[in-house]
This record gives sequence, structure tokens and C-alpha cells, in this order.
Amino acid sequence: MLKIKNLKAGIEEVQILKGINLEVNSGEVHAIMGPNGSGKSTLSSVIAGKEDYEVGNGSVDFLGENLLDMDPEERAHKGVFLSFQYPIEIPGISVSNFIKTSLTEKRKALGQDPLPVKDLLKMMREKMELLSIKKGYLSRNMNEGFSGGEKKRNEIFQMAMLEPKLSILDETDSGLDIDALRIVANGVNKLRTKDNATILITHYQRLLEHIVPDFVHVLHDGKIIKSGGKELALELEEKGYDWITKK
Amino acid sequence: MGLIDNLAKYAQHQNLSKDKRVVFDSFIKKGFPTNSDEEWKYTSLKKIVKSEYNLFPEFSEIDNSIINKYSLGIKDKIVFVDGNLVFSPEIKGVQITGFSDFDCRNNDAISELNSALAKSGFTIIIEKDIVVENPIEILFFNFTKNSFSQYRNRIIIGENSEVKIVENIQDLSKSSTLVNHFTHVSCNKNTKVEYNKIQNNTQESKLIDCMNIFQNQDSVCEVNTLIFGGGFIRNNLNFEQNGSNCESNMNGISLLDANQFADNHTFVDHKTAHCRSNEMYKGIYLEDSRGVFNGKIMVRQDAQKIDAFQANNNLLLSDNSTIDSKPQLEIYADDVKCSHGCTIGQLDEEALFYMRSRGIGISEAKAVLTYAFASEVIESLSIPELKNLSQKLLAHKLNVNLDFSL
Amino acid sequence: MSDIKKQTEDELLEEVTTSEYKYGFTTDIESDTIPKGLSEDVVRTISSKKNEPEWMLEYRLNAYNAWLEMKEPDWANVSYEKPNYQDVIYYSAPKQKPVLDSLDDLDPEMKKTFDKLGISLEEQKRLANVAVDIVMDSVSVATSFKETLAEKGIIFCSISDAIQEHPELVKKYLGTVVPVRDNFFSALNSAVFSDGSFCYIPKGVQCPMELSTYFRINEAGTGQFERTLLIADEGSQVSYLEGCTAPMRDENQLHAAVVELIALDNADIKYSTVQNWYPGDKDGNGGVFNFVTKRGVCHKNAKISWTQVETGSAVTWKYPSCILKGDNSIGEFFSVAVTNNKQQADTGTKMVHLGKNTKSTIIAKGISAGYSDGNYRGLVRIAKGATNSRNFSQCDSLLMGDKCGSHTFPYIEVKNNSSQVEHEATTSKIGEDQIFYCNQRGIGTEEAIALIVNGYCKDVLNQLPMEFAVEAQKLLEISLEGSVG
Repeated sequence: MLKIKNLKAGIEEVQILKGINLEVNSGEVHAIMGPNGSGKSTLSSVIAGKEDYEVGNGSVDFLGENLLDMDPEERAHKGVFLSFQYPIEIPGISVSNFIKTSLTEKRKALGQDPLPVKDLLKMMREKMELLSIKKGYLSRNMNEGFSGGEKKRNEIFQMAMLEPKLSILDETDSGLDIDALRIVANGVNKLRTKDNATILITHYQRLLEHIVPDFVHVLHDGKIIKSGGKELALELEEKGYDWITKK
Repeated sequence: MGLIDNLAKYAQHQNLSKDKRVVFDSFIKKGFPTNSDEEWKYTSLKKIVKSEYNLFPEFSEIDNSIINKYSLGIKDKIVFVDGNLVFSPEIKGVQITGFSDFDCRNNDAISELNSALAKSGFTIIIEKDIVVENPIEILFFNFTKNSFSQYRNRIIIGENSEVKIVENIQDLSKSSTLVNHFTHVSCNKNTKVEYNKIQNNTQESKLIDCMNIFQNQDSVCEVNTLIFGGGFIRNNLNFEQNGSNCESNMNGISLLDANQFADNHTFVDHKTAHCRSNEMYKGIYLEDSRGVFNGKIMVRQDAQKIDAFQANNNLLLSDNSTIDSKPQLEIYADDVKCSHGCTIGQLDEEALFYMRSRGIGISEAKAVLTYAFASEVIESLSIPELKNLSQKLLAHKLNVNLDFSL
Repeated sequence: MSDIKKQTEDELLEEVTTSEYKYGFTTDIESDTIPKGLSEDVVRTISSKKNEPEWMLEYRLNAYNAWLEMKEPDWANVSYEKPNYQDVIYYSAPKQKPVLDSLDDLDPEMKKTFDKLGISLEEQKRLANVAVDIVMDSVSVATSFKETLAEKGIIFCSISDAIQEHPELVKKYLGTVVPVRDNFFSALNSAVFSDGSFCYIPKGVQCPMELSTYFRINEAGTGQFERTLLIADEGSQVSYLEGCTAPMRDENQLHAAVVELIALDNADIKYSTVQNWYPGDKDGNGGVFNFVTKRGVCHKNAKISWTQVETGSAVTWKYPSCILKGDNSIGEFFSVAVTNNKQQADTGTKMVHLGKNTKSTIIAKGISAGYSDGNYRGLVRIAKGATNSRNFSQCDSLLMGDKCGSHTFPYIEVKNNSSQVEHEATTSKIGEDQIFYCNQRGIGTEEAIALIVNGYCKDVLNQLPMEFAVEAQKLLEISLEGSVG
């Protein structure tokens, strides 16, 4: 599904990603771990198409197409979803209005008619239940006055609504208490199918107890320096990053 | 015969240069501003310029005890008496002399008048790389009855230099006097300047003050205007930023009673990118006093990434006190963060009640809350003697015997 | 900011300049027009064409003489070539003046115009329950729902009809809120106004439907000088809407209206405007000069609420105001003002607190794009006797592009110590991170801006009646199409 080859990117003169290679197939869950400043968030931003970053070398292929040629919204239409580390507030726009707009835009890009309001509401209700979201939440303004946990839950709710093929969860677990983490993880697990894939970006092993990855990669100084199965995460937890980075 | 006729007559007998004559004629043509001038909408000079003034200062001797009475107790002092520079300190890397003429933008007819006829004032030139350790105090005393006096001052701060100045204009003539005070400040690259004005003058004194500050890159300039008294005060404070990474800060307190009047006019001209300005003016109005605030922030087209903040908060503490406030933003660049806020209100009744229920008398409770209102400005004063004086004056004006220094 | 960003900004700015005014069509209707220019004779002609009583003619002549002595104001932060007042046609009426019992009798051309405007009368009648008065150029051409309203004793008609049929009411209130000599434009309007709407809600009556007026300048070179007079008698309640459009013309057209509202004790008036006069082309040619005086007076416990969405006009000069004369009265002002290309707007409000315990709220949202300038100018005056009064003002500006300007000029005057005033203003641009977030959720930049702007304006749009809110939202989108990235 996603093939990243020798990806290099940075801001202005500073190189942050120094040659990333990664392949993600449908049905898989990958975890990318690494200390602060290793380039985890840069990687997710580059995949989503944030314009602040200049991409030098390398390629990112998504379902046979060059992702780097696309605008951020095109990438979203093709099925790339990024759960933001710091979700943005949009004053005056309700959650339901926002989701309706993004869903309609996606359907438009795919040549589909907008979902009838009745079906949309039904779908919202189902997904809300999945994530234990209370009523009344839909009419609140996008992320305005949301607690940290509510913001993250809102991200996963949007993910559920947009049904992406590739979801990148950027530090979705940070700042969540254990109950909120369970709810979010539970939601992510229920949304897993054999046709979609997930990349978890985190520096805590804790999340991986709830969402079990197929592969774990360690990112350090802009490169993936070690890959392995889920047991790698446990080893990291036990021994710390120094264990690998010093090698 | 009003002041303008007086001045016209006076000028005839002066040997003015051609340029000065042109400026003076322009002043005569415009005359003193009236309420129909937008910048003087709420401030009337009508009565003030109708009075008779003595244009010729009579020099008096000054006693050290008087200087000490009004001084903050700072070592380095510049002292003027009736327009004469009588005392100036020796400071390494700092040249202090009397009046020396210079050109500066004339903001209005009043600054034209100053430019044409002023013959008194100070010149401070600070060399490069000098950090002036102790603050410099500048005292202006007047003993001449019914005088109209003009000062024209200039401060040039060399690159990387730092200085703190406190200015105090004091009338001791026990008569109605008017001062037209003009100060030009050049802040060169990477300078740090703090200028403090104590305006605690007599009921009959009138002051029109204009300060034009020109900032170069990386400079930080702060002006604190502390008004505790005066019959009539108009302060024009203008900052012009001409280099990146400048910061202009201005704070003010106006604490007025009787029928005192104070008008603070500030203008920050953001001409270059990546600069900041912060403005905080607090007004407290007792008895029949009147306040005016006019703050303008201008962000020019190429001045992106500007962070400008302005606040004007006012307490009206009596039935007859009034305030007119005009905070303005003029923005021509898009990548800026500018905000202003203005509030007018009273002391919180519930807080007053709460304090009284704890046994604090009403005057004291009011004073504490008023101090709390003004504290943001007072606490930020960096010269301890000045902070101390402000606290004392505040307690004195509010008629309480409280020590706010804790 | 990266180059890519810059590039999209430029592209988008390019797009703005090509987005067109969607109401710029003219209607081919025969008109009865008098020669251009203004003189005492013209004033007399207008009055006689309308068969006015002597007192009305006197009122006009008095205003004309006052106007001759007055100067066009220049304190607003706008610059434009002052119109030549002798080059304006002061009266133009569609020749066939339909006195309509049924709207089906309307001239088919005119009906088409209304359809293009999206206000099919029938539809409005059926669906929206809105009574409409339509003023084309200077003359009121159709008033719907007259009879339904009459049952409740509500008078809703053109001001010309009111002068004929209800002279006592017109005489009593006309010019009481906006005196003839109030300003240059109000004097001009008082001399030459040719029509407008009149509305009277009797004591204790709640108007059962929204009342609405549509204004349109059609004839080339004509000025439009409409006059609106709305009286809400004690304890009554009314919501009133006005909409404005004009065809594209190369030359500037002049619009100088006067609106007077009178809210007697315990009355409640809500007055909403969606102003979309032709703004001129991208280079600033043509467009309407919109110089309007709107003011209301509130008696005891009364309330006046102004809501405006201003997207059109080349130059706007407009300050809907409230005189809070009675104790406990309330004034509100909610405004969205959008300027794009070379438009200039100087708009805001005046809240004059005279009575005790009076309250006012001001929410003004400015959006500037292209080469335009948007100004908020507002006055909050609390008089000595207006004890315990409150004002809250919030003025926000949003900038799109680096060639536009946004300015805030509030005047705050407080003369007693039991009142509280709070004023806040901010200026900002649309955040790049907000746009990226929307992009990531599949929402294109254009759409994202529309979404963010709508959110930004929500506090004001929410004040509009339902049917208008939708129209206003669309207008915002059209006015800002592709303004920035």
C-alpha cells in the first residue's frame, strides 16, 4: 500500500529525514518509535503533505501513485489520514459541520454524491457509540475548549467517519489517561480491517499493549535503525533507546 | 492679549534665522490646536492659551535642600533652574551638556513653536558600548511667576549602550505656568533605554510634553509615564521603529483628583518587520478629574510579523470624573498579531465587602484594590526608588497610611 | 513561509480578480426619468410627481437649502473622487407603476429580475412567510402581504403611500431620529428621496412575519435615495430585513439612504441588512457609493438590534446607531463587513447611552482581502445620567493577503462612575495550520477558507433570520472566492 524509498526531507537548510525506507501493506499495523527529535512527526507531516517541509530525495508511493505530487486534500481523498499530535481549533465551526464538509469533499473527489443527511447522522451515531462519545458533542465547535483527551478522541472519530486506507496516528496516546487510552485504542482496533493499514507514532510502549503492532521500527536521527516484531517494543521499554542508538 | 500674540511680539525682537522664522510663521498660521483637530478632540487649550504668561525667565538661586526634597535620592543628577542648567554629573562615556539645537520632525504647531523658539534643554550623548550603571535623574525647577518655558532636549544612545533616566518637572512659583517640553531620543542598534517621567506637579501647572523616539534594530526602549498630579498634562509619546527586532514598551499611570486633567497620546509606528510593542496605561480618576487616552498602533505594509499589544484600563472612582478613550489600530500588513483592549469600570463591590468583613476599613480596602489595579505598572518599575515613590504617592493620593511595598 | 505557499497565495489572489459580481445584470424596463442635476426645481418636480402635500414639499425644500450650506464629510478613512451632484439623476421610476393587488400582475421583465435576484415573490410568499416591499431605482414597485398585515393593524407600504394615507404618522416621526441637518447625506436624502418603505406596528402587536425590502438600482446614472421609517409602538415587536443589489456599471452610482427606527416603550425592533451593491471591478472602476445614515431611538425598556452583512459597494460609509434614550433600553450591533479588490469600507456604530441601566453590545467582524481597506469606527458614549449602563464591544479583523488594510477606530466616552465599558479588538490572519488541518481532512483550500470565515462570522450570522443567513453565507463565499492561502 505505502512504499517509502530513501526519503529525505527537512526545513530550510536543516535535514531531518535522512533516508527513510518503509513498506506498509494492507491489514498491517506498524509502530514507529524513537526519542524526541528523531523525525517521527516530520515523517507523518511529509506523508500528509505539509508544505513547511522541503522534500529532497526519495519517493513515496501510495497504491501505485506518487504521493509527493499531490496536494494535501488529494492525499486525504485517496485515503491518507493523519491524526494530529496537536489538533487545530476552528472557532465557530461545529464538529458535525466539519465532518460533513470533509466527507462531502471526499465523495465529490471520488465522483460520489453527498451522503444523504439521514444516512450521515446514522453513521455518526454508530461511530460515536463505538468511541463512547456523548450526545451534544457534535454541535460543539471544532476542538474549541476541548480537553486534550477530547481532542484526540475527535481525531479518531473523524478517522472512523472518513474510513481512510492508511491512518497515521501521531502521538495519539500522549496526554491521555488510561481510560481515554483504552477507548481510543478500542476504537482503532474495531476500525482495523484487512484492507486498511495503520502507522502508530509514539514513544511509549503503553499504547502498544492496547493496539498490537505487526512491526515495530525505531527511528533515530532521521533513519530507521532497527525493525522487528512487537517484542522489539518490549525490549525498548526495558532497555531504553540508548541500547540501540549506541550500537 | 493671548499667548499667541505674546509670542508673535516676542519673536519680532528675536534674531531668528531664516529657517526658524519659516517654522515660527507656520506655527502662527496654524495657531494652537482646537477641538476640531482630531488629535485634540477631547483636550481643550482654549483657556490655557488665553492667559498671560511671562516669556522671560527670572533666574533664582536654588538651595540644596529643595533639590533633595524633590530628588529620588539618585546620585547622578542634572538640575535645571528657570531654564538654566545649574548642575550636571560626570559619568564615564556620557557627555552631558545644555541646549544644542537640532532638527526633528515637527508633529504639530506646538512642536513648531518649540523648534522655533526653545533655547533651553539638555543634550545627552552616550558613546558606544557603555552601560550606564546608575540611573540619571533630571530635575527641572521653575520659580518664575506665570512663566511660559520651553525645553528642547536630545538624547543619543550609541550602539550596544544602556541607560536609565528619570525626569521630573517641578513648579515652585506658586503661580499658573505652562511648559512646552520636547525630547528627541535616538536609540541606535542594540541599545536598551528606559525613560521614566514623574509628573506630580502643582494644581496650577500646565504641561505639554512631546517625546519622539527613533529606534534602530535590536533596540529596546521603555517609557514609563507616572502622573500623580498637575493642572493640565498632555503627553505625546511617539515611537518610530526603523529596524528589525525592535521593542517599544510604554506604561502609564494617571492618578488624578480635584479638577486635574491628563491626556496620554501614544503612537507606535511599526515600519519594519519582526518587531514588538507593548502598551499598558492605567487611569484612576477621583473627584472632578478628567482623563483622555489616545493610543494608535500603525503597522506599515512591509512590517510583517509584528506583535503589538495595547491596553487602557480605567477606574472612575467619583461621580464627576470622566474618561474619553480612543484606542486605534491601523494595520496594512497581514502577518501580524495585534490587539487592544479598553475597559472602564469601578472597584469590585464584592471584593470591597469581603475585605471589610475581614475588618479592613473602607478607605483602606479601596486603596488596596486600587493599588492592585495599578500594580501591574508599578511593580514593573525597575528603579527601586521610583517604585517606592510611586507607592507612597498612591497611598498619599488615596488618603491612606498603607505601605504597598510588601 | 515556503515558496510553495507564496505561490498558491499569488494564484489565489489571481483568482479573486477574476471572480465576478453575480448580480450585475440590467433590466430592460422603460423608465420615467427626469433630467440629471439638482436644483430647487428638481426638488419641486419630485414632490409634484408624487402628488405630495404642501408640508412634505416644505420639508424637502428646507432640507435642500440646508444641504446647499453643508460640506461633504471627509473624516472617514476612505478616498474616492467626490461625486458630482449635478451629474446624478435624482428621480427614476419604472414607467408602468404597478399598483398591485396581486403579484401576478407584475411586469414580466421585472419579475425576471426578481427571479434572478433569487427572490421569487411567489416563493417567498409561500415558503418564507415574508412580506416584501421592492424598491427599484427610487420607487417602490410592489408590496406583498399588505392585507394579511392589515388585519393586525400593521401598516407596511411604500413611504409615498404613507405620506398620502398616513400623513399624521409620517409628520410625527419623519426626521425625528435623523434630523435634516444631521449630515451632508441625510440632508441630501431628505431633499430628494423618492421612495422607500414605511412600517408601523400598533401597540402590543407582534408582527407575524418577517418584513422585507429589496433595493435595486437599475437605471444608469441614477442615484438611489430611499427613505425608511419604521415605528414600533409600545410593546410591539418586528423583524425587518433589507437586501440590496445593483447592476454592473462603469461609472459610480450614488446611494444615500436614511433609515429611522422608533422603538417606543417596551418595543423590540430587529433590523437586518444584507448589502451587496455592485462593488466595482477589480481595478476599482464603477461600483456603488453607499453613504447611509441609519439610526434608531429606544424609549423605555425598548430594544433595537442592527445586524448587517456588508459585502458590496465600492465605498461604504455607514454607522447604524442606537440612541438609548429610555431607561433599561438595549442596543445591539452585529456586523460582518467584507472588502475585496479595491473596495473601501468605513463602518461601525454609535451607541449613545442616555437612560439609566441601558445596555449595548457591539460585535463587529471585518474581513479584508485584495487591495481593500476595511475600517471599524465606533462610538460608545455614556452620558452622565446614564447610570449603571453597560457596553461590551468586540471588534475583530481578519486579513487575507498582504496588500489590504484593516483599521479600528473606537471612541469611548464615559461620564459617570457607575457604568462599565469593555472594548476588545484583535487583528489576525487565517492560520496556515488551520488550512492544512482542513486540507488533511480532504477539504480544499478554497473550501477551508469559506469554512473558517463562516466560523469567524458565526456570532453575527446567527443573528440573521434563517432565510437571510443562508444568503449571507453564500455572499461571503462569493465575495471572498479564492482570496488567500
